[in-house]
Amino acid sequence: MGLLWTGIWIVGLVLYNSPVQAFPKPGGSQDKSIHNRELSAERPLNEQIAEAEKIKNVYPAENNSGENNYSFADNLNLLKAITEKHKIEKEKQSIRSSPYDNKLNVEDADSTKNQRLIDDYDSTKSGLDHKFQDDPDGLHQLDGTPLTAEDIVQKIATRIYEENDRGVFDKIVSKLLNLGLITENQAHTLEDEVAEVVQKLISKKANNYEEEPSKPKSRTESKAGKMSEKATPLATMQDGFTNGENDETVSSALTLTNVLERRTKTYSEDNFEELQYFPNFYALLKSIDSEKEAKEKETLITIMKTLIDFVKMMVKYGTVSPEEGVSYLENVDEMIALQTRNKLEKNATDNKSKLLPAPSEKSHEETDSTKEEAAKMKEEYGNLKDSTKDDNSNPGGKMKEPKGKTEAYLEAIRKNIEWLKKHDKKGSEEDYDLSKMRDFITQQTDAYVEKGILDKEEADAIKRIYSSL
Amino acid sequence: MAGPGGRALLALCGTLAACGWLLGAQAQEPGTSAAGMRRRRRLLQEDGISFEYHRYPELREALVSVWLQCTAISRIYTVGRSFEGRELLVIELSDNPGVHEPGEPEFKYIGNMHGNEAVGRELLIFLAQYLCNEYQKGNETIVNLIHNTRIHIMPSLNPDGFEKAASQPGDLKDWFVGRSNAQGIDLNRNFPDLDRIVYVNEKEGGPNNHLLKNLKKIVDQNTKLAPETKAVIHWIMDIPFVLSANLHGGDLVANYPYDETRSGSAHEYSSCPDDAIFRSLARAYSSFNPAMSDPNRPPCRKSDDDSSFVDGTTNGGAWYSVPGGMQDFNYLSSNCFEITVELSCEKFPPEETLKSYWEDNKNALISYLEQIHRGVKGFIRDLRGNPIANATISVEGIDHDVTSAKDGDYWRLLAPGNYKLTASAPGYLAITKKVAVPYSPAVGVDFELESFSERKEEEKEELMEWWKMMSETLNF
Repeated sequence: MGLLWTGIWIVGLVLYNSPVQAFPKPGGSQDKSIHNRELSAERPLNEQIAEAEKIKNVYPAENNSGENNYSFADNLNLLKAITEKHKIEKEKQSIRSSPYDNKLNVEDADSTKNQRLIDDYDSTKSGLDHKFQDDPDGLHQLDGTPLTAEDIVQKIATRIYEENDRGVFDKIVSKLLNLGLITENQAHTLEDEVAEVVQKLISKKANNYEEEPSKPKSRTESKAGKMSEKATPLATMQDGFTNGENDETVSSALTLTNVLERRTKTYSEDNFEELQYFPNFYALLKSIDSEKEAKEKETLITIMKTLIDFVKMMVKYGTVSPEEGVSYLENVDEMIALQTRNKLEKNATDNKSKLLPAPSEKSHEETDSTKEEAAKMKEEYGNLKDSTKDDNSNPGGKMKEPKGKTEAYLEAIRKNIEWLKKHDKKGSEEDYDLSKMRDFITQQTDAYVEKGILDKEEADAIKRIYSSL
Repeated sequence: MAGPGGRALLALCGTLAACGWLLGAQAQEPGTSAAGMRRRRRLLQEDGISFEYHRYPELREALVSVWLQCTAISRIYTVGRSFEGRELLVIELSDNPGVHEPGEPEFKYIGNMHGNEAVGRELLIFLAQYLCNEYQKGNETIVNLIHNTRIHIMPSLNPDGFEKAASQPGDLKDWFVGRSNAQGIDLNRNFPDLDRIVYVNEKEGGPNNHLLKNLKKIVDQNTKLAPETKAVIHWIMDIPFVLSANLHGGDLVANYPYDETRSGSAHEYSSCPDDAIFRSLARAYSSFNPAMSDPNRPPCRKSDDDSSFVDGTTNGGAWYSVPGGMQDFNYLSSNCFEITVELSCEKFPPEETLKSYWEDNKNALISYLEQIHRGVKGFIRDLRGNPIANATISVEGIDHDVTSAKDGDYWRLLAPGNYKLTASAPGYLAITKKVAVPYSPAVGVDFELESFSERKEEEKEELMEWWKMMSETLNF
């Protein structure tokens, strides 16, 4: 994480301390003239932006599929490379960017190759030498063109957007200021630009989903104009981002987005695009139409959306993989379906179970265990990184299991007691047996909890079951 | 990283669960919502065995259920933790759980050492439940087994790998994902390679059993051993296991030692001294598994070379060379004889097939369990009746010795035939006995060893007696 932030402000560093010479032409066949910008250490950001604006209209043409595959892996490497680069260049006391002209192997999914960085930064080599090198440092776009100021701003903005953390930007700027590389004014300008881009990203995302739950972002969109013209091409680029392939966990949020997009079903009349995951839930919502249950509906919707957000966050942080996140959501939905069905079944048949002779105690057990199960479930999730089941397994997933578990335990205990009664005919009374059993069970369950074989809640449930017999 | 987000998600799930109950159980009596679910479970269930894949929590739950149902004959314990902190759970079934009764042999089943070879894991869970059920039903075979054996069942030695494998979406699981442990270590190549040492010893002279002296220290200091491997090694050293099987997937055969070829070539029949009994043990499994022992069975994959398979069994080296495997480690470091059973052509088959795998393997698993009651067994004691631990029991013609356990009890698996058994211990005079061994049950042969000092005493006494007699006769 620290590396990331260091990397990010070094991006900024690069931005403001770029070499004087132009970038050599890359070996690709595409039109690269527009990318032969000069990033100068002396030139203030404004100028560079102005220059970039002049050629901004060429941007849409560049945003071909080649760029779209700009992966976050490259981003990461960009940052790593920049860290190293900064170290090297700092020593040299002259900060210049390296010749960036290598064409990036678009299909190179293994973007962790970081060799030849030293070569890259060896200023004595001409650009042509690097023509056919792999791109380990990610300091270009996919078609091999070098990064522009906008790109870097875009990257910062994207990073901020992904991290949902304004602090990213603050750190970059404060470091730049401390190093005297930018003036206050430039910092403000940069801030504005980044804010603009972030805002565009958000609204673009929102357009994709029709409604986006609010994400914390660096600034509210109070700044107008300067970057607005650039925003469209950048937004397009961001769109390209979204559709590209990512295989880094850092980019997994985007992958989740991809997956979400791929599974899009349109509920056009309802503006909860993400509820596509929950067709059953959605149906349920529809069925709750009465006014008095509007509040409940509201609550449910909020809960669902928050759940989706959390899953996305989990994916983003790499706690679960995108597929797991999606299948988890699907499992939840199936659980809802199950619940709904059960409710209907119950209403239709009005079946009551007769597991234990004391119904009042049993219902007490069940009520307790309901809360327990929620807690148990929490435990289960806490114990596992991967909390979702395979698609083919048990529909209803984890939600159903806590209930089933207690049930299974009850069943097992019942069988045990039955067997003991049958086989312990040495004249000892039932009560005596049970109390002995109870002590034994208490002792054993405690021992098991200590060893990590049982959860505390499970042990308590078992003890309680025995004590109620 | 999982901290804040994860916890929030948990909290949310709790809320959601509560919400779900709200929705689904508004005017509902508690317990009745279970009716629908129970109905579902019953479809997949038979007598408490649910034929579905068990993830770690479900695995734990299943074992706990068995224990709860059969508290008198079962016990759950853990031999250690996986790299990611999951307990390596074992359920023990015996008439006196937790206790080694002198003379009662110890058996183990280990499954899922390759996390993506899932059938073994499930079969062992089913087996535990099955043994408990059958015991309570009074099934004589099972009751005898449980009364006379201490059965240890470890459904998964690589729970981390399993989670990884099981998390793959869809039915088609990758051939490698989840195979190794969380550190990327293939556990079945991670054991100390004692085969190499044995092969050298064969040429230059040296033992071929109990090859790992000062074991605990070596193991603990070896950084290359995975935590799972270390846990198993300690387990093997702590309990005097006699017979074991290691369950795998990816093919359909019962494999026996040695796994590593002598010459280092890729395929070579590498027999161990106990080749005869091992072939018999392997066949005892395969012959009860109809698919495994089917002579007309096509190979799992067209390109497979099944030429070494005989009656559903194969010598390890003849099939392909495996160094550092757990099977040979058992044989060469302890008294335990272990075979490797490959249960399924597909490593992680669809859940719907689990029931049929159970049907195919149920009898084989029990049959193999019964093999432990074969050969010769007994006690090594001194003349005063005290047990002699760590005495050596050697068999003429078989270059592999076993040792007696703490209570002086020993078990020597042997194919039917006539043998000469020799029991010896440092400081004691060795005794040899002739034994005729049937297929089963095990023949009881005890040894009372005379220590050197006792013999000296005896000789002294004899001498005194002779002197007394002489003096009386000659009127000293």
